Amino acid sequence: MAQIALPASRRSTSTVSAKKWLGALPFFLFAILFLIWPSARLMIDAFLDGQGRFTLDNLAQLFQNQTIVSSYLLSIQISAVTAIGGGIFGFFLAYSVTIGGLPKPLRSMLITFSAVASNFAGVPLAFAFVATLGRTGFITAILKNIFGVNIYTAGFNLYSFLGLSLTYMYFQFPLMVLIMAPALDALKKEWREAAENLGATVFQYWWHVALPILMPSILGTMFLLFANSFGAYATAYALTGGSLPLITIQLRAQIQGDVLHNPSLGYAMAMGMIIVMAVSTIGYIWLQSRSERWLK
Amino acid sequence: MGYLTLSKISKQFADAVVVQDFNLSIEKGEFVSFLGPSGCGKTTTLRMVAGFEVPTSGQIILDGADITDKAPNQRNVGMIFQAYALFPNMTVVQNIGFGLRIRKEPEPAIKERVAEMLSLTHLEKHADKYPYQLSGGQQQRVALARALANHPQVLLLDEPLSALDAKIRVSLRSEIRMIQKKLGITAIFVTHDQEEALSISDRIVVMNEGREEQVGTPFEIYNFPKTAFVANFVGTLNTAEAEMVDPVKGIVKMDGVQFESANQVEGQKRGDRVSIAIRPERFSFASEQKKANVVDCKIENITFLGSVVRIQITIGRTKFNMDTFNNPFLELPKIGAVTQVTCSREAVLILDRQ
Repeated sequence: MAQIALPASRRSTSTVSAKKWLGALPFFLFAILFLIWPSARLMIDAFLDGQGRFTLDNLAQLFQNQTIVSSYLLSIQISAVTAIGGGIFGFFLAYSVTIGGLPKPLRSMLITFSAVASNFAGVPLAFAFVATLGRTGFITAILKNIFGVNIYTAGFNLYSFLGLSLTYMYFQFPLMVLIMAPALDALKKEWREAAENLGATVFQYWWHVALPILMPSILGTMFLLFANSFGAYATAYALTGGSLPLITIQLRAQIQGDVLHNPSLGYAMAMGMIIVMAVSTIGYIWLQSRSERWLK
Repeated sequence: MGYLTLSKISKQFADAVVVQDFNLSIEKGEFVSFLGPSGCGKTTTLRMVAGFEVPTSGQIILDGADITDKAPNQRNVGMIFQAYALFPNMTVVQNIGFGLRIRKEPEPAIKERVAEMLSLTHLEKHADKYPYQLSGGQQQRVALARALANHPQVLLLDEPLSALDAKIRVSLRSEIRMIQKKLGITAIFVTHDQEEALSISDRIVVMNEGREEQVGTPFEIYNFPKTAFVANFVGTLNTAEAEMVDPVKGIVKMDGVQFESANQVEGQKRGDRVSIAIRPERFSFASEQKKANVVDCKIENITFLGSVVRIQITIGRTKFNMDTFNNPFLELPKIGAVTQVTCSREAVLILDRQ
């Protein structure tokens, strides 16, 4: 009897264990189909030439081809500028709705707006900026006709690095607000009071206590903003039509373009992008975990 | 005038009066507890001493200087918070030395003082740890060391033990008291735990609805409560309605049963309705030797509470609790039995019904 019971009990244990994992199945399906499988395919294809033979030429070109190198640099520059700019602006906005004493209804409105705006990108965003800050945009027109200021003659150009950075900011700073607002909420009132009780001024509290506590969150979110901007394609393409050769625009030209068609090189460029974005994301996760450890 | 004096302190938030006409004088080196239920104004009063709240009216004098309107960082007052409030980005050493660094003390002096505080609070082994690596009790010891490092004139403790488990709470409160005595520092301790207040304080201020209900030593507060609120809040108490029979001799009648009291309330006359209170431990089973109050009772229930056995009895129509120390050879009457219990005249308190 005992000999029969043992396998039965083992079977029931394995059934329980299988059932336990059943709930996680959608996650594994998603990860395999949309992350692991495409990335693996891309990485394999990056090492193959047009005829399917192994080659390192594609990777070598990432460092030798000046157009590609400058595209990476341009993408890194615009990502860094919008991550820092959007990060700083977003931080102060998050501050004003949490500690800054903005009325609660305004806080809910800003958070809802941020949730929508952080996903507002691509052609609609580009069109919105063209309609407002383009050469004939209504803000450009108001500034010109009412205030007598022509921003275009003053050097502004929506279709330039500055214009694109400004457009990217529109979805960058709301993401910062969404992530920083809970981090600012987690600053305990007692920390400020303890610092004051020990003789610190408001500035000393922020310098020695609050900012060091928030710094991992601030830097980590900036890494996320960097990755967010680095992977953006549609907004830049719709706004500049390819006049600013970002890495994403060059990548499309290699994979789908008529002139620069070289899919294998495209895969290698995409692999480079995955590495840059992976570094940013790992930086974000590492810094965020540091900050969570302190704030728990 | 004491070392720390609070004169006619009031605090109002919008329409709510949280503290009203609060008066207290504390001597140097004294350990005073504010005891009361939630919302009685004890923390608000403490926060006014720390400078986190500004009194609506009244004056706070510390060592002869008026500090009523001084900013918190301009007062030399140390504070310990319920939730520890350690800076999570700093190690134990950095937390303790924070106030000294802010004051720009020379580095060797900071090191020396931090080492002294580490030794005082037995934290030497944890010097380089971050708060998240410490237990609640250890964190609160760091908070104590940090508050003391600046040589504060007064130490304020805002329910510092309430987030800790029972065993740590008892050991840490003894440690706090020992350190306070050793340093001779004036301390105010806020708590809603009567046992904590009774065990740690030189004096207790029992607070209710923003006022001091009674100020006295733990012995006075427990044994001679002046009001029904204090009597009910501090310790377990049997209370009952009675009628005054002889105000001079302190004789009252409850459900036809007569009690004699040594505690007389002025202005009472024959026939007045009064509240009487008797602590459970003041009852004992009546022996041959007659005492002042020997009354018939019925045993309703018996509950073991560890070191104490609680016996529920009915005297007349009123239920009372009676406590007796537990011992393995204790002979208890059976439930339902009718017997006699007694208590001294001093044990019967006649309370101010207000």
